Amino acid sequence: MSERFSYRDDREAYNAARVKALESLLIEKGIISSETVDKVLGFFETDFGPFNGAKLVAKAWADPEFKARLLSDTPAAIAQMDFPLGMAGAEGEYMKVVENTPKVHNLIVCTLCSCYPWPMLGLPPYWYKDPTFRSRAVKEPRKVLQEFGLELDESKEVRVWDSSAQIRWFVLPERPIGTEDMSEAELAALVTPEAMMGVAQVKVPA
Amino acid sequence: MQLRFEHFAVTSMMGSETSPPRDYGTLKFERFWEERAFGIALALSKKGHYEWEDFRQELIAAIAQWEATHCKDDPSWDYYQRWLQALEQLVFESNLIDVDEWEKRTIELMKQE
Repeated sequence: MSERFSYRDDREAYNAARVKALESLLIEKGIISSETVDKVLGFFETDFGPFNGAKLVAKAWADPEFKARLLSDTPAAIAQMDFPLGMAGAEGEYMKVVENTPKVHNLIVCTLCSCYPWPMLGLPPYWYKDPTFRSRAVKEPRKVLQEFGLELDESKEVRVWDSSAQIRWFVLPERPIGTEDMSEAELAALVTPEAMMGVAQVKVPA
Repeated sequence: MQLRFEHFAVTSMMGSETSPPRDYGTLKFERFWEERAFGIALALSKKGHYEWEDFRQELIAAIAQWEATHCKDDPSWDYYQRWLQALEQLVFESNLIDVDEWEKRTIELMKQE
């Protein structure tokens, strides 16, 4: 039915009107309320996303005691945060953090399937499940990181952490130089999911 | 700990061809209607009008139908077009909206634009 317009512009207008018509009819019939769809979408804007992990990283950078707890007992540190319901438990209770330092760079992977710390990092990128990435990340991590645009010093050790149903790893990236005066919120805005997977470093926008 | 329905629904699609486009750890919508169609599909299942698995199967069927008549790298591929197709199918099957009523309202809205 939605294919009836052969020109793309028409189809676009048709799709937009079609979805709008559906929502308005569902509301009129009392099947959903005018807030139902916004509430569903709001979950992905405020509850479930990489912003949870970014807050954790920023707090660890700003507070050495918190950082020590995050590294020694990740679930306890997460429980301390004011995360939305459901984001601290479930799959989250098996999460563990590894720290990037000037000497060590960490990379997370899941060689068996696609285990991922959703509550902290949000939705995984498409390549995380890719069999080539999964096997190459273990065999030649330096080369894989190079392809991601991450050139590491030869002296730096690369560690690869294989996630499983038991433990889902993620990375505490290095705090970039020049961020000493930044607030936790400003720091959190710099942290990307890629940095928490170990395929990127945190950069300060020029 | 019980998962929120939204969490369950979206993670159940990861790692398969039904997984929605995403960017920087979040869902990626290119047009306003895509996000609304996404939200409507989840909302109707959350309210019990169909099982989420039924939606997923409908989406798999819509994608398979497209793939049967297009090359895999066809640039006209449009994930949310298939999503809308699956949603239409389930809305009809669940007798939520009448076919003609929906079509009539669509045309009215297009005229207003």
